Amino acid sequence: MIHINDFTFTYRESTDPVVRDINLHIPAGAFVGITGAAGSGKSTLTYAMNGIIPHCYPGDFYGSVTVGGLDTCETALTDISAVVGSVCQDIDSQFVASIVDDEMLYGLENFGVPHDEIEARVAEALDDMGIGSLRDRPIDSLSGGQKQKVAIASILALHPKVLVLDEPTAELDPASSVGVFELLARYARTHGTTVVVVEQKIALLSHYADMLVIVDGGRIRFADTPANVLAHSDELLAIGVNCPRSTTLMNRLAADGIYDGAVCRNVEEACTALDALVPQGALAESRVVA
Amino acid sequence: MTIEFRNVHASYDANIPILKGVSFTVEDGEFVAFVGTNGAGKSTTMRLVNGLLKPEEGEVLIDGVPTTELKTSELARRVGFLFQNPDNQICCNTVRDELLFSFKAIGALDADAERRVDEVIAEFNFNPDDDPFLLNRGTRQLLALASTIVVEPPVIVLDEPTTGLDFRECVKVMNIIRRLHQSGTTVIMVCHDMEVVADFANRVIVMSDGCVVDQGPTFEALRNRRTLQAASLVPPQIVDISLGLSMMRPDLDGTLIANANTLNEMEAAIAAAVGNPGAASSTPTYAPTAPGAEDALEEGGAR
Amino acid sequence: MKDFLEYVPGNSLIHRLNPVVKLIGSILFAVACFCTSNLVFVCCMLVLALAMAASCGMLRQTTGLMKAVFVFSLLLAVIQVLFTPSGDLLLELPWGYIGTGSLLAALTTVIRLEAAAIPLFLTFYVTKVSDMTNAAVKVLHVPYKYAFTFSSTVHFIPVFLNDMSSIMEAQTARGVEFDQGGIFKKIGLMMPLCVPLLVSSVRKTNSAAIAAEVRGFNLRTRASGYKDYPIAGIDAAALALTLALLAASICLTVLL
Repeated sequence: MIHINDFTFTYRESTDPVVRDINLHIPAGAFVGITGAAGSGKSTLTYAMNGIIPHCYPGDFYGSVTVGGLDTCETALTDISAVVGSVCQDIDSQFVASIVDDEMLYGLENFGVPHDEIEARVAEALDDMGIGSLRDRPIDSLSGGQKQKVAIASILALHPKVLVLDEPTAELDPASSVGVFELLARYARTHGTTVVVVEQKIALLSHYADMLVIVDGGRIRFADTPANVLAHSDELLAIGVNCPRSTTLMNRLAADGIYDGAVCRNVEEACTALDALVPQGALAESRVVA
Repeated sequence: MTIEFRNVHASYDANIPILKGVSFTVEDGEFVAFVGTNGAGKSTTMRLVNGLLKPEEGEVLIDGVPTTELKTSELARRVGFLFQNPDNQICCNTVRDELLFSFKAIGALDADAERRVDEVIAEFNFNPDDDPFLLNRGTRQLLALASTIVVEPPVIVLDEPTTGLDFRECVKVMNIIRRLHQSGTTVIMVCHDMEVVADFANRVIVMSDGCVVDQGPTFEALRNRRTLQAASLVPPQIVDISLGLSMMRPDLDGTLIANANTLNEMEAAIAAAVGNPGAASSTPTYAPTAPGAEDALEEGGAR
Repeated sequence: MKDFLEYVPGNSLIHRLNPVVKLIGSILFAVACFCTSNLVFVCCMLVLALAMAASCGMLRQTTGLMKAVFVFSLLLAVIQVLFTPSGDLLLELPWGYIGTGSLLAALTTVIRLEAAAIPLFLTFYVTKVSDMTNAAVKVLHVPYKYAFTFSSTVHFIPVFLNDMSSIMEAQTARGVEFDQGGIFKKIGLMMPLCVPLLVSSVRKTNSAAIAAEVRGFNLRTRASGYKDYPIAGIDAAALALTLALLAASICLTVLL
């Protein structure tokens, strides 16, 4: 769905490329998580996918980026946007309306969706994000998590083939962050939508993504399944990416020669693995003295 | 310096109460973390600590003096405040001016102030002539932190200090805060990242819907799954594993595994349980040092 | 200040009027207030404006607005009292005198400004900005770009006010005493804060522009709007009423 070939980009106001020699192929329907240290170029990578680069941020563009068969350099931004839906990092400046319903209409109206389809699309997208009951609410009155879901729903209503999100949970508490990822993952599964999400919370990515891309100093260091990427917890730490503690624990046990099973991505997997690892009833001597 | 909340009620809009009778005490030299979902009243509590907001009912006492009786600059001398968004705090054209402005704001700009500013610039490794608005997000957060602590307030309040930072920046900020705490500063922090809370705080106060629902030593509070769940929170991962395993395996009840709180403790406990205790002790970084310090973020997997 | 000019949901008669009619009607109402100096007439207009505010449950917001307008109009009124001598002499001044006429004129100014301001502000409280711009595009054929500029500006006012209060809060936490001293000291303290406000504004408007563009801003035409804004009987009646008020006001001035 997304093909990035030998892509190097330098913003006009700087001299060094912010990303270089990027080769990345994202199949249709994948749920891709991108992470890396601040300034590693991960946001730039998403701008290349949704056409904001080169259309809004000028600079030196080498290589090629195609999305859904469209070359982003040769296609107008609006035509790219019809394929790639983008949820910005600062959703407060993304909002154009004061009421959820009007926010939902904005993109649909612009892209000329037939007026008799609009009602169904709005209702469906709101339901997909689990916020059908918020339709007539002022956006200001919503919690951070609800706002984020409105921002996503307003893009989903456009039926994009690819959805690109830049740090959707940055302002959210853990429960709302999980809520947003849960709904995104379910939506992507049922609609076959390709999702690309930049995120600092690697525990969420490890759990929900089926491809993890680690960016370091403008280059892609890893692009593989979460299990394969997380196996390199030491290397990741060295480039400023901290694995979930459950993963680190099991990787350490593996290095100690105690554990030789699969890499664990989350607490549940670690518990299952440890349950099998720790022998029954062999622990009398390790009881804590009360 | 102690902070005491006595049955505090507060709101921004009279119709929507935010705090509904909050009481707690933070003793001198403690490192207390407030946890809870957005809207639980944590940030409001922080605003009350340094008098940005005054209680509608009840009292907030700083060393026994109600915040309502202290002037803005007196409050600022006692309680430093680091906001989530450094951009609201930074207003000067150079890093040095920004730090000096902190003294100007409390009316204490003198030769000592200049010396202290230079000291902090060296400590944080800043370039004094940099334009703060051109620095990256992590450095701006460090500058905001520096301008908070440069005047050496006995208490600092941190409202989600690590939001928007990457792992390395987060470690940098938190290590500075730990050093401050070790040198006697009282630290009160709101934090969503339970791993950070587990690594740094001495005591945890759980808030839900405008009330304090639990408080206690860090791991006592974090192992109380039922209360955390009621507040829509999940324990840090190692505690979660420890609690999860003890649920699955009644035979582990009372073992080190069922009581492990940190990465090192858990690794050692598992190694002992599978009869390979040597594996863990062979790597010195795992040896428990000061309580709560052995799992500091900077060591979170270092080897 | 937080809900300044922000839409308050409701279903009153005025809420349901066509947005364009509300806008034009309130402008006509204001013009009517300014076309005459008849104190009785402007008093009637004020009562009418307050009745409208009451009919859509906006009295609380209106009182707030009236206070602000009062301060401003008082300034004008004082100047008027001091510098437009007319009527019976009440007080001798070195450059003229204060007369009964000056006082009446000043009173008229205050009431006129209050009466004229209320419907204009009311329009914002009872109309969603998106409805106002969409209706302006559909009914009045205003080019969408201008309508969008207007709606974004209104949309960003509360955002910027919010930013400003966060910035002031952060500085208060550092010990800056905004609550002490006079107005000039306060302005002096606030000046340096314009820098962070400007930085965040530029950042926000930039990302807002990009966000609008990737949501098809450039494709939008007059036909894009999903909602229609037909002029109903009640709208025609409302327009007729405001036109009648304007006519009455002009008649009073011409005939008396």
